[in-house]
Amino acid sequence: MKKSGKKISPQLKKFVLIPPAMVLAMCIFFVALFFPVISDAVSIGNMFLSDKQVDYSKSFDNIFVPTADDSDTVNASDIDFPTINKQFGDLTIKSCDVDARLFFGDAAIPLRNGVGIYAGSFIPGYGKTILVAGHNNTYFNGLKNVKKGDTVKIRTSYGNYKYEVTETKIYNASSKKSYDLDADEENLILYTCYPFDQVGLTEKRFFVYAKKVSGPRIIGLYDEEK
Amino acid sequence: MKKLFAGLAAALIIGLSCVSAFAAGINSSEASVLNNMRTPANMKGNSVYVPASYINQAESYFNTIDMTTAQAGKINSIIGQARSFLGSTGKSSVKELSASERKTLINYASAAAAVLNLSAAAGSDDRNIKVITKNGKTVVDDSTNIIKTTGAEESVLPYVASGVLTVLLSISVFGLTYLKRKSAAYEEVR
Repeated sequence: MKKSGKKISPQLKKFVLIPPAMVLAMCIFFVALFFPVISDAVSIGNMFLSDKQVDYSKSFDNIFVPTADDSDTVNASDIDFPTINKQFGDLTIKSCDVDARLFFGDAAIPLRNGVGIYAGSFIPGYGKTILVAGHNNTYFNGLKNVKKGDTVKIRTSYGNYKYEVTETKIYNASSKKSYDLDADEENLILYTCYPFDQVGLTEKRFFVYAKKVSGPRIIGLYDEEK
Repeated sequence: MKKLFAGLAAALIIGLSCVSAFAAGINSSEASVLNNMRTPANMKGNSVYVPASYINQAESYFNTIDMTTAQAGKINSIIGQARSFLGSTGKSSVKELSASERKTLINYASAAAAVLNLSAAAGSDDRNIKVITKNGKTVVDDSTNIIKTTGAEESVLPYVASGVLTVLLSISVFGLTYLKRKSAAYEEVR
């Protein structure tokens, strides 16, 4: 007599074991492939699950008023020094279609709305390093077409600046060779993630180095100069 | 008499507004703090410097405020104490400091920030410091890398993540349906 209970076929047994194994393998594969994306998705998910408020707003303060003044110098007392997350100018490279608002600070709000100067570097005219970050899929996507000799224009409320591209380089994000925050000569560094047009997050950065050509030098910064 | 009184009041108002007027740039008080920050601590014969990123951020912030001589005096005193403390640890670099020694160092930073009505907080590993104003605006932030993540703009990431999830779910549903059909066909054959 046949037993009334359901018999599980050997194939079905395989199906019971194989699908979870496949799903697990797929999960491992996707986690490995999209880890940064998933971690960001998780952090965004956390936004809904935790009490901690995450600022995803795009709002920012703007103190930029274009000027036609082409003086060689500008007095520090005439400058409204930008604080973090404030737009205080714009940056354009006509030759490669870069046209972005320029912020002080390079956190989420500046990079969502334009490009941002690292707060541990300085504003144009200060005579030191200006380190500017921008996303490779938005405002700094055009950097892939930048060439030596191209002109970078920065407009601020206190003066207009021109820089000439001297070279481009690719470094790891953790490399300290890519910038010198102690430099005593004005130098502009633009960077974005590399390779361009990659959706996932990358280890490498594309750096554009430029030297100052024109624009007002800020004077009267220190008491002894006043 | 009334006119004289009004004149004096006007002069007083003008005088007061001149005193409180903000002067951009680095005044002598701020310069003394920056110079003090640039002075290295001696840790077992090694000169240990405050990173340029911190000093530059402080300089940029000082360009937006007017520090008084009294404030600079207090801050310089705290910096001096922090430097002495580093020398007294018997370690040769900041990396070697224990958790409690790092906490002490953070406390010095908090005390210095408090002089300017700012608050300093350390990252979870007590290695990085973030200084914010009373209304939450960032003044100094070394809690993130100097070179930022400039890949896909984060607002597109939820869409990418949803896409990946949809593909995963589709594969699973398709796979399960296929397996069920196969199993049913096998049962029929039996």
